[in-house]
Amino acid sequence: MADIYLVGVGGQGIITASRIIGDAAIFAGKNVLLSETHGMAQRGGSVVCTARIGDVNSPLIPDGKADLILSFELLETMRALCKANKNTLVISSTEKIVPLSVSTKKLRYPTIEEIGVQVRKVAKDFLSIDTRKFAEDSAVPMSSNIVIVGALAGTGITGIDRRHFEKAIEMNISRWVPENLDAFAKGFETTYSWRHA
Amino acid sequence: MDRLLDATPGSKVLLLGNEAIARGAIEAGVAVATTYPGTPASEIGDALARVAKDAGIYFEYSVNEMVATEMAIGAAASGVRALVSMKHVGLNVAADALMTFAYTGTRGGFVLVTADDPSCHSSQNEQDNRYYALLGGIPLLEPSSPQECYEMTKEAFAISEKLELPVIVRTTTRVSHVRGPVTVGEIVPGPKKKEFVKDPTRFVTVPAVARARHLVLLERLRQAELLASQSPLNKTLKIGSGGRLGIITSSAAFNYSMDAASTLGLSIDVLKLGFSYPLPRETVTDFLKGHDSVLIVEELEPVLETGIRALAQHESLHPKILGKEDGLLPRAHEFDQAIVASALSKAFDVSGGGAVEGVVDLQGLPVRPPVLCSGCPHRATYFAVNKATNKKAIFASDIGCYTLGLSPPYSAADLLVCMGSSVGTAGGLAKVNDQPIIAFIGDSTFFHAGIPGLINAVHNGHKFLLMILDNRTTAMTGHQPHPGSTRGPSCCDITAVSIEDVVKGCGVKWLKVVDPYDINLTAETVREALAQPGVTVIIARRECALIAGRDEKGAIIEKHRIDQEVCKKCKTCVDRFQCPAILSVDKVQTIDEALCAGCGVCAQVCPHKAIKGVM
Repeated sequence: MADIYLVGVGGQGIITASRIIGDAAIFAGKNVLLSETHGMAQRGGSVVCTARIGDVNSPLIPDGKADLILSFELLETMRALCKANKNTLVISSTEKIVPLSVSTKKLRYPTIEEIGVQVRKVAKDFLSIDTRKFAEDSAVPMSSNIVIVGALAGTGITGIDRRHFEKAIEMNISRWVPENLDAFAKGFETTYSWRHA
Repeated sequence: MDRLLDATPGSKVLLLGNEAIARGAIEAGVAVATTYPGTPASEIGDALARVAKDAGIYFEYSVNEMVATEMAIGAAASGVRALVSMKHVGLNVAADALMTFAYTGTRGGFVLVTADDPSCHSSQNEQDNRYYALLGGIPLLEPSSPQECYEMTKEAFAISEKLELPVIVRTTTRVSHVRGPVTVGEIVPGPKKKEFVKDPTRFVTVPAVARARHLVLLERLRQAELLASQSPLNKTLKIGSGGRLGIITSSAAFNYSMDAASTLGLSIDVLKLGFSYPLPRETVTDFLKGHDSVLIVEELEPVLETGIRALAQHESLHPKILGKEDGLLPRAHEFDQAIVASALSKAFDVSGGGAVEGVVDLQGLPVRPPVLCSGCPHRATYFAVNKATNKKAIFASDIGCYTLGLSPPYSAADLLVCMGSSVGTAGGLAKVNDQPIIAFIGDSTFFHAGIPGLINAVHNGHKFLLMILDNRTTAMTGHQPHPGSTRGPSCCDITAVSIEDVVKGCGVKWLKVVDPYDINLTAETVREALAQPGVTVIIARRECALIAGRDEKGAIIEKHRIDQEVCKKCKTCVDRFQCPAILSVDKVQTIDEALCAGCGVCAQVCPHKAIKGVM
């Protein structure tokens, strides 16, 4: 059983990431339910997906009930904290997509340190990953979402073997597969070494 | 390779609820499938559009839900199986056809999928379309999961043919947009052609026929109720050891009920209604007899609750029936486990219900509502219109991405109710207001429901400007084609219909086409149009920036940059244009090159010519 709450901004490849998690779960012989944001809400707005691995009926994760928050964008990490509890691991990309309200309403985008303080108040651990750098190192700048999937796999929280994720990536990504697998490996190693440190 | 067709019978594949509906229809041997895209139903049509050719079925994106339904009626009345899918409000458009089709009944299986949207995630209302089943006398199935979406779609065709009635499959956002494992079966191709056998005493609903057919419908509904009472889609599940407490539920509410009851550690029986209209009286009566206290858990309207209370009264049953009437569950917005857990705790006097541990203060955190994309031609149109009118105009808006123009600084939406309403309401506004009236409608929406309004305006001499925001696609729902498109679904050749020809054909005398990226020309054309008597039309034509970017892979997009030497920090670009690629932090304005779509409109907006293209 693992309840994973995925957040980010429309256009960051979150649905693709959640599909990969879902396929990997099925390859591993586990049950899984995913929920997704479609339509108007996607146009540059905050996007939420959930992935619940195990024998559950409802796809939604109630407040305070996520085992893992997987964030593709720093500010959205803050917004996701209502789903955290004292055992929640929060993994966040350091990617910043500054919303219009920062420019037009003079609202301040918090620093990563401030976000870290807030996360540690309510959750167990906070891990930030420079996904853009990893993606660029893998020669596919668009693969930040795959780095995040790798980071999830590396935690071992899902109980899904690495090879199932890799097979799911091959199934869901049509181009630059070796490069995406490389991006996955970079994310994987980050959390794997953190877990075993 | 497409998992929808390639999945081997008996294997488990991850499918979206909507894709599972498509697979179910294909396995059932559907011959004709139609839709008009709308969230949360769109992926049913998109999946079918993708595989139609390989699956050997006819699929079309119809001009609107009414025509989509009529297409399916024509096919099913001839004897083949037909599927039509739409979002909940689409059924308002199609209702005229559906209500009377229940009278004639069908020969081939006819399944209408309506995807409801509790909480209005992407809709203008959250109406409960189960009422259409009651209103029309149409059997209703309510799946809860992708597996059930698949199974019930197949079963719906069988029920439809057994009863010779149309069948409604009703999902919600949390059923259609859930992805989960689906164990698929064999694809059994059905007949793709059938000769229509004439039977005017059944299929031509003049009053004498309609009166007789209504009696046939009522008799079929009696048979449907017996079918529902024997249906395996209605079943009792035990949580813990079961007991004298019960839940009756359907659709997504079933999922929350199961998880909430388990979390609370309740021992309880759950009657899950998958074939929920006509209400299976025998099944429900047995359940009521076996329990002391029963909570009805359903999202939105108390449809089951009202029926079950009436049934209990009629059968003189006296278990305690609890639900919305007792204020235990809300009648608005979608549920989740916590809402159902709280209702269960109150109803059955148990503690728990999930206290939230960590609470973070999100006050002052920058909000991120959906916005028009960078490079969106609608932003340019709204900027030009505001420039031309100085905001001294009333804006009748419509359904599409461009509705996002309602927020400042564009403030380009004052009245909106439904698809096509911009044109009709503009006429009414014009009759009683002295300000200029401007109606905004998208290209797909114009074809869908804008044309009768335009004819009405010409015929009755209304004075307003209609701006058709033609971005060459149905953008909001995922870039589906519309009658003006040159490329359609995989199965079929299509013909592009010219918007200009339609507008002229409606009798409009003053029509101009502009590129909204040219702000000055667009503003000037708006001024000119408003000075004319009668109804005028401007087509603001520019391809959706998301498609333009996709199709021109490899082409050079001219990214733009703000020259800080020239920039006077007046913030016109931020305050009046508001492109998500233009940032203003610590009083310095910059363009994020990663987000810039290269439209160059901001360069026209800047009064100091500080924005320039960089190759």
